[in-house]
Amino acid sequence: MDLLAHLEAYVAVAEEGSFSRAADVLYVAQPVLSRRIKNLEQHLGGQLFDRSRRQITGTDLGVLLLPHAKDVLSRVDHLRQVARTALASAAHALGVPPDSDPVALARVIRAGTRHGVTIGVRELPAEERAGGLADGSLAFALLRVPPEAATYHVRLGLAAVDPVTGSSGRRPVHLESLRPRRGAESGSSPAILVTAEDEIGFAAERFDKAAARAGLPEGRVRRVASTASAVAETLAGHAVLLCPEPFARRHDLAWSPLADAALHRGYELATARRRVGNLGTPVLDWMAPLLADAIGAVGVPAENPGAAERGSTVPDPRSRLAARG
Amino acid sequence: MSPRHPTFVASPAELLPVAQSIAAQWQQVGATGHLLARNIDTGEELGFDVDAPVPLASVAKVPLALVVLDRIATGTLDPALPITIDPASKSVGWTGVAAFRHPATLAVGDLVHQTLTVSDNASADALFDLVGIEVVDERLRGWGCPGIRVRHHMHRMYECTAGVAGDDFGLALELAIRDDAAGQHSIETLNPAYANVGSAAALVELLERIWLDQISRPEATAELRRLMALQVFNQRLSSDLRADTVRVSGKTGTFLHLRHEIGMVTTESGDRIAIAALTRSHRRASIAHDIDLAIGAAARSAFESLRR
Repeated sequence: MDLLAHLEAYVAVAEEGSFSRAADVLYVAQPVLSRRIKNLEQHLGGQLFDRSRRQITGTDLGVLLLPHAKDVLSRVDHLRQVARTALASAAHALGVPPDSDPVALARVIRAGTRHGVTIGVRELPAEERAGGLADGSLAFALLRVPPEAATYHVRLGLAAVDPVTGSSGRRPVHLESLRPRRGAESGSSPAILVTAEDEIGFAAERFDKAAARAGLPEGRVRRVASTASAVAETLAGHAVLLCPEPFARRHDLAWSPLADAALHRGYELATARRRVGNLGTPVLDWMAPLLADAIGAVGVPAENPGAAERGSTVPDPRSRLAARG
Repeated sequence: MSPRHPTFVASPAELLPVAQSIAAQWQQVGATGHLLARNIDTGEELGFDVDAPVPLASVAKVPLALVVLDRIATGTLDPALPITIDPASKSVGWTGVAAFRHPATLAVGDLVHQTLTVSDNASADALFDLVGIEVVDERLRGWGCPGIRVRHHMHRMYECTAGVAGDDFGLALELAIRDDAAGQHSIETLNPAYANVGSAAALVELLERIWLDQISRPEATAELRRLMALQVFNQRLSSDLRADTVRVSGKTGTFLHLRHEIGMVTTESGDRIAIAALTRSHRRASIAHDIDLAIGAAARSAFESLRR
């Protein structure tokens, strides 16, 4: 016997004062409703309603039990609501770049606990982070955007065992400087490793173009699928790795920033509105600075001379095409 | 784009590995191309893909100069004839009269000098106007140089390119590279069917005949040899060859992804090696010094294995 359905029938008849109206309210046929009341009376061992008069009224037992029946039903309602809420607030997935700082990410998770939001950190390639937001598998994600348009600006540079810019290592590195020197053994130049995070459409296109214009042959830039093997190759001294400064420091690699800020990373913290709803805005307030720390973002986006079309004063467009010799 | 596996020529056959290693080196820096180097005294030679017609860019100024110098040698053109070039209608370029901002009057003989030594487009086009494009082409056929065709002014290269790509050098370069891969040409002057073209074999043949006085007249070829020795550009063929005892008399050709040079390497000890190096690249750079150096390295390897 489904006690809850029977109690619902009992409360509905008591409140409506009529079997037919109660049947309408509960969307059941009247014979079904009558049978439920009869079953419940048998179960409780006494009549609940006086059916002798035209107007249905409760018996003494019926009046006595009514508040208790209502109480049971409201508790069940509450139980269901708690289950719904618990499900809705379970782990909010947060998509982060693969080379984020785990210590800083731990702070994000702890801050979430403090604010009553369960954060599940998921390390994903840039394109999957954007996809995850769209398909609802992520609630929050750091999305790659061009650095000049970004809220978070992460300087990219080259990590190597020895600084690529000579002894100091603090000076910015220009891609032209990576050309093999005249008279150098061919094939002696270390490859530049690019990880998946910097392979996203516009960023890869920019980097390839800059490398080509700097006079680097295509073979110098190599895409690597695994960050770990890229670090290993770099530590072994066979390559230089394109990465942000904190990542290089974590692996005891010397690091020099790329001089062209247009080649740096830009990020935007985005939310999936469907998943987060009104929860989004207050969460972003405490999460944003912690995440900036995790990806190694620095201050305001820098002015970038590289992305903008550099001015030209050549009067005849065709003369720009003319080569010397 | 030339085939993935070049067709090598090597005579004697023991020179084959030299040609192969040059092709491999070019490939490593992102260039493909055509090379022929020949000792014009022994006939020994090495190279690859020597017969394909390639748009010449400024290398076309060599046959032009030869035809003009031939007219001077036969007495039908006065080398002192003054020609005025107006900046408003001149051809574009960075060097020589093409870069002048005021009208300039030069003698025909000096226009040839500017054309060959600093690759002056305006001087070259003034000479084309003077003798006629068709006349240059006919003269070459009359001399038996079927592998070289001259069909347009230097300026036409920039007009055609600006026509499809405006002033966007990157776009023009991209088009040139893609067209090469697809074998369809949106820039007419890069289409071998319409461009000034020559094959490595035909160009080496021309150099050989110029140095052996087997074409035109000795006065004309002597003047052409003198002027080619005065070329100011030394980033390619001569980049790894120049010495007090080794001289390169050459002419470069550069346009978008094309980097060429033809020239004669002569030594104090009497060696004469003719070289034609015609390259195209799929790199998106207008300046690629390692490709220039690879051409220089090729010239040096070829020269050292061919000299006596």
